[in-house]
Amino acid sequence: MSANPFPKSKGIDRRGFLKGSAVAGLAAASMPISTAVWAQSGKVLHISSYADIDELDPGFYQNGYNVDVMNCIYSKLVHYVPGREWDTSLQAAEEVKQVDPTHITFRLKKGIMFTGGHGEMTAEDVKFSFERVIKHDSPVKGDWGPLDHVEVTGKYEGTIVLKEPFEPLWTITLPYGTGCIVSKKAVMEATKDGGDFGMKPPAFSGPYILDTWKPGQYVKLTRNPEWKGTKPGYDEIRILPMDDEKTMEIAYESGDLDFTAVSLSSLSKYKESPPAKTTIQEYPSLYYVWVGMNMENPALTDINLRKAIQYAINVPQIMQAAYFNQAKPATGLIAPGLTGHRESEIVPPEGDLEKAKAFLEKAGGPPIEPLTIDTLNATTWTAIAQVIQAQLAQIGIQLKVNVQDSGSFWTIGMESEGDRWKKMQLIVNRFSMLPDPYYATQWFTTDQVGIWNWERFSNKEFDKLNQEALQETDHDKRAAMYHKMQDLMEQSGAYRFLTHEASPVMFRDSVKPALRPDARPLFRFFKPA
Amino acid sequence: MLFYFIRRLGLSVIVVVLAVTILNVMLHLVPGDPAVMILGPRATPELIAKTREAMGLDRSFPMQMAIFFGNVLRGDLGRDVFTDRSVTTIVMEQLPYTLMLITASIAWAAALGIPLGCYSALHRNTWLDKITGVLSVSTISIPSFVMALYALLAFAVGLKWFPAVGAGEGFADSFHHLVLPAFAVGISWVGYLARIVRASMLEVLGETHVRMARAFGLRERKIVVAYALRIAVLPAVTLIGAGVAYLLSAAVFAEVIFARPGIGALIVKAVDSRNYPIVLGCVLVTTGIIVVATLISDLVNAWLDPRVRENL
Repeated sequence: MSANPFPKSKGIDRRGFLKGSAVAGLAAASMPISTAVWAQSGKVLHISSYADIDELDPGFYQNGYNVDVMNCIYSKLVHYVPGREWDTSLQAAEEVKQVDPTHITFRLKKGIMFTGGHGEMTAEDVKFSFERVIKHDSPVKGDWGPLDHVEVTGKYEGTIVLKEPFEPLWTITLPYGTGCIVSKKAVMEATKDGGDFGMKPPAFSGPYILDTWKPGQYVKLTRNPEWKGTKPGYDEIRILPMDDEKTMEIAYESGDLDFTAVSLSSLSKYKESPPAKTTIQEYPSLYYVWVGMNMENPALTDINLRKAIQYAINVPQIMQAAYFNQAKPATGLIAPGLTGHRESEIVPPEGDLEKAKAFLEKAGGPPIEPLTIDTLNATTWTAIAQVIQAQLAQIGIQLKVNVQDSGSFWTIGMESEGDRWKKMQLIVNRFSMLPDPYYATQWFTTDQVGIWNWERFSNKEFDKLNQEALQETDHDKRAAMYHKMQDLMEQSGAYRFLTHEASPVMFRDSVKPALRPDARPLFRFFKPA
Repeated sequence: MLFYFIRRLGLSVIVVVLAVTILNVMLHLVPGDPAVMILGPRATPELIAKTREAMGLDRSFPMQMAIFFGNVLRGDLGRDVFTDRSVTTIVMEQLPYTLMLITASIAWAAALGIPLGCYSALHRNTWLDKITGVLSVSTISIPSFVMALYALLAFAVGLKWFPAVGAGEGFADSFHHLVLPAFAVGISWVGYLARIVRASMLEVLGETHVRMARAFGLRERKIVVAYALRIAVLPAVTLIGAGVAYLLSAAVFAEVIFARPGIGALIVKAVDSRNYPIVLGCVLVTTGIIVVATLISDLVNAWLDPRVRENL
């Protein structure tokens, strides 16, 4: 295993960690994969997912709910370790080692079989799985960044060759979606050109297989009979798609689910009076929520007005009204626990009405026409917009709330969607995140203006730092770069960071869940208690 | 009768084409790009443009509609933009759940509402008639989604008599899963049907042919069932036929609240994600159902009432 780029490895130098992880790799390698003991048999785990699956090809994956299933049915070189701190561990690999900034060698465990007679997993499969993401112009090819090629050096050995260093390889690429290894033989048979196989995986390599998918009803995963590794905890996992957290809670209370996410509005109720034989756990979340301002909108071109708005927004009040005090104010885009998380922000969470008024005066007073704030038609989002509306009224700025459905909302700032971006002024926004800071900052570069950078923030220093940070292997230096980038965003006046939200979950005492530090479930490792 | 049937069928086709076209125009008028929704945030503008082209979204709207209806004539409703599965398959997978739900809802509502209305008419101004009247108005005034939520909390969470979510598997399990949603969707129909049948029955009971039957000394039971109810039920049949659209919209809420599969839940998600092929497929099918239901109710009316039959 190679250097762990997560912040907990701070203090361990890269070479030192390499040495340590090589030992861990050897220890893992020496464990025969057939010695595992079956967990309790005959068990079915009922869980919910916020959406139904719609893509099971890891090379073309979209959205976390698909990756939750992929984690169970495929194997990767490395995987996220369940726990409270971000870490990765070897899975299909005996050893993964970064020999220099652009070369990563790996050696697979022997005996990992693909189902359906598609043979043993080899380095050829690894090469095929990773290179097809680039070759077929996958929408998620960015995960593989500067991959040049994978060199096969033996039946089980190979080298990942990058065009330039790419730090997110360790935090996202290998342990997340595109890190899954598929069978070259099976995929070629199924697709002819090795492209997207969509919802029909031709072979499985994980502890579970996709037994049944009843669209809109459930996904049924059962034990993979050909799996020789550590036996999974359940005979069957049933994933029920439910878009609404309240429905999940009701389903849990009625006994239809064994594990579910809990909405922040219900959290205090459940903490006071949890359902029978239930454990409630609170986790932080990686999402980031902010108020953005379109710097090119004529009403908002004056930085003093934008700063007045920044200082007029009182984040703890928003936490109280929209998140029932169950979420904490954010200091930036990057959540605590990740490289680049800032300890504090420039504008204090409570804001400062006096400063806001002073900036407003410099801007020549409040705009004559009311400003607009766009928001998604979800309760929390509209509550945020309404609180901001009231807060800005305190300094004399009138704000009109525009509530939009998801189809309209998610294209509002895109130049390809007509002129709506020009009219956009303020916006409540929320992006999902993976455990690498680049995943957050990549949307705010100049080349993203009019695509996902709806504030139209453009800063050469930011763009340069964003590029350099991808290649920086020194944790402290990399963290400092991301601190600076968030400072630049805040100094532009176009951003008011609100929160990373929170991810509470509840589960039966009969279940031992396995969660990432952001409470994302790793069903593969769930076990009966 | 045959000419009437053919004429209605022709009109039905026009209604379906108009409804699908108007709804599609509305969908195109609201902002949102299916290609962006499919590919996610990390797709390049080039890839988005390529996908739009592959989906035919770069063509003019009339051309898109012409292609859609051309494909419909060949039995092809297109492909789902997310899973690349056939829309026909997806709609047909979900349709039975919705049909099952609305059929069960209206069946139990009719089984209870029609006899209740009949009983109330025959026992006019008794305390049972008054109680039935109050209950009918109460159930009519409660929206189905409110009833769904309370039924869920009372019978699934509180008493745990029924499952809260899903549609179940196999006959017994499916029936068990169907009880609460069907109760929620059907409850207001009990009131509607009881009130309509009561009013209609009172009117029919005073008609000449019923008085004539009584004069001939026929048994009261035969008079009520064979002569009065047969005619009195006609407005209820018309109401059910026209009410299929309402039932479908109530099913949307029930499917979302009970996390059941079905056309309603499918449409909601498809509109949200601007999944045009699914929306068009669902609208085509639901409009077809409404048109067929109206046609059937007209034909049943004609079958039950010779006066209607003569006027066809």
